[in-house]
Amino acid sequence: MNNATSDPSDQSQLTNIDRRSFLKTGLGGALFLGTVSVTAGLSGCATQPAGRLSAVGTRMDASYQFRFLTKEDIALFEALLPAMIGPGLPEQPQARNSAIAGTIERIDAGIHKFGPANQKELRRLFDLLNFGLTRVTVARVWSSWPNVTTEEAHAFLERWRTSRIGLFNNGYIALTKISNVAFYGYRDFWHLSGYPGPPQYAVDALPQFQNA
Amino acid sequence: MSLTDRIAQGLESGWKVTDGAHLTENLTTEADVVVVGTGAGGGTTAEILARSGLSVILVEEGRFYYQKDFKMDEQTSYANLYQEGMSRVTRDGAIAILQGRCVGGSTTVNWTSSFRTPAPTLDYWAERFGLEELRPDAMAPWFDGREQRHSMSPWQADPNVNNDILRQGCEKLGYSWQIIPRNVKGCWNLGYCGVGCPTNAKQGALMTTIPGALDNNARLFHSLRADRLVMKQDQIDHLEASAFATDGVTRTGVKVTLKARHFVVAASAIGSPGLLLRSEIPDPNQRIGKRSFIHPVNATVAQMPQRVEPYYGAPQSIYSDEFNFRNGVDGPVGYKLEVPPLHPGMSSGVIPGHGENQINNMAGLPYMQSVIALLRDGFHPESPGGTVSLRDDGSPVLDYPVTDYLWTGIREAFHTMAEIQFAAGADKVRLMHLDSDWYTNWADAKAAINQLPMAPHRARLFTAHQMGGCAMGSNPQDSVVNGFGEHHHVSNLSIHDASIFPTSIGANPQLSVYALAARNSTRLAQKLS
Repeated sequence: MNNATSDPSDQSQLTNIDRRSFLKTGLGGALFLGTVSVTAGLSGCATQPAGRLSAVGTRMDASYQFRFLTKEDIALFEALLPAMIGPGLPEQPQARNSAIAGTIERIDAGIHKFGPANQKELRRLFDLLNFGLTRVTVARVWSSWPNVTTEEAHAFLERWRTSRIGLFNNGYIALTKISNVAFYGYRDFWHLSGYPGPPQYAVDALPQFQNA
Repeated sequence: MSLTDRIAQGLESGWKVTDGAHLTENLTTEADVVVVGTGAGGGTTAEILARSGLSVILVEEGRFYYQKDFKMDEQTSYANLYQEGMSRVTRDGAIAILQGRCVGGSTTVNWTSSFRTPAPTLDYWAERFGLEELRPDAMAPWFDGREQRHSMSPWQADPNVNNDILRQGCEKLGYSWQIIPRNVKGCWNLGYCGVGCPTNAKQGALMTTIPGALDNNARLFHSLRADRLVMKQDQIDHLEASAFATDGVTRTGVKVTLKARHFVVAASAIGSPGLLLRSEIPDPNQRIGKRSFIHPVNATVAQMPQRVEPYYGAPQSIYSDEFNFRNGVDGPVGYKLEVPPLHPGMSSGVIPGHGENQINNMAGLPYMQSVIALLRDGFHPESPGGTVSLRDDGSPVLDYPVTDYLWTGIREAFHTMAEIQFAAGADKVRLMHLDSDWYTNWADAKAAINQLPMAPHRARLFTAHQMGGCAMGSNPQDSVVNGFGEHHHVSNLSIHDASIFPTSIGANPQLSVYALAARNSTRLAQKLS
């Protein structure tokens, strides 16, 4: 279909699968995305913020109040972050869980500040990924997110990164950008980028750091 | 302690500052002039008008953050100080838009580069848009005045390594380079201009014109969004505004009505057309929101053999204009070369990637160097710019199609930037592009750049300079305001920000905005007094 690029053949195949499956839905890009929230709502997908989750399983900080992410969105990021951050996550299970949970909380806090218009865009994206029919046909992820392996999550991200469909690239950028900034931008993970933090002499000298 | 905080002192001394979040009931008040926006344009306007004895109300949708809030932290700053919590993009999502949203506007978060409007740009405006009164000689005194007001001068300390690599690469290849003038006083050379200056060294609106206006009895409402200018016959009668809660995004439901003799809109090249469109300001030729320009930016990153520490030191101190006007003012697109600071959050957000690749990218941060190219858009028929329109909720959005003319320039700029980095000794270079690998030599990079698709989303594009959308010009058929920022059809409306630029300018815009706003406000003060 499109041999103008130098993609390895397996990537080109993925690209074609993307396009076929996308077109098979019979609806054009943004229009299709627009319908998902409605469909998801009708089919009973909860699209209300998760609020305060119980601390059962020590998964989340029970004091954090989710303002945007739903329980389904949280499950989505729990599946994606191991592929998104990869070896950057701690291996020790409890540290790993709390790194993932903290990152998801910061993603939620960040999105709260995006304001209504971009929240609406993200709502569409997350609903598309969470709603079974579109998760399978558009994202080509067969299992529900809690059952998705890190390899499968990585493969999904790769498909959207290498796709020739701009809408998928845009989805890839949106997912990676909010995850990367929430993870690498946080002080607990600065060491992974060798960033020492603000110069200590300035922190020691400046009044805004003095009354902590 | 020798440190003094101008804002804390002013608030202590009784400045008239109202936090919209604290209003519990609707309010109506009035002044001689209402100024919408507190950035480069609004701050300058408010100070000049207030000093001339006029009563002034300033309206700012963002919140009043100052030294106590500036803790050199990316996440809180991006969430609080930038439009849409740093998530603003063009309508198709292909271009990330960096823009301030706080008292001081983008001048609170810019990287302090302070350039005069290039002479070829002003001459082009004179010839193409009938703006004879803006020729370089006529503007010179205004640039002089604002350079003094904002303590602008070429950076005296050594450039940081990140900037010095741009200098070295240019030097090796015989390209011109210069030192960047910065608006700082007693700068600590820390590198955190983009997250709110922690030392009050940056002389943006926050440390200069806003205190100047408040010292002269101006009243500031922040956390208050200008919704709509309401006309009565052929004049604007009042501004309707609504308050945000302390989170800066949730509406409290409180409405404020502001009456005035004159209204100055300085809400940015996205915000100002947005406000005018919401207000249905007379626009017989449908010019509002048209010809929006952004200096589209593409970037390369290099892994250097030496430590760069691109997160420390004055973020921008070296630039090259070798390619900016090389093809004449209106030939194939020119571009200015600069360097961005790289902190971990920003870097991980703009270098596209995930998983093991991304952690490898990020692990090299202390050795990472980046060059950016700012394309000079709007000077050619094939660069007509973008369009600001309103979303369903009334918020403005920029649609910016990247034309083949611009893609050609973007590809060329990738070449130039990679060549410069290799000339300066880079071990490897990659493009901010979804399909880019790391290339270990110039020949490989060159071959790849020739092949890579120049397409939306795949080539990562950015803008930190929004201009146009309420263009000035002598002919009302193709412009919104005249050469003094006065609206062609509504006599008590002026526009004093970068939205009046009829093209982009080919340099970081803050000084251009300060100077035009100073000139136009001085005239306005005479008219109103």
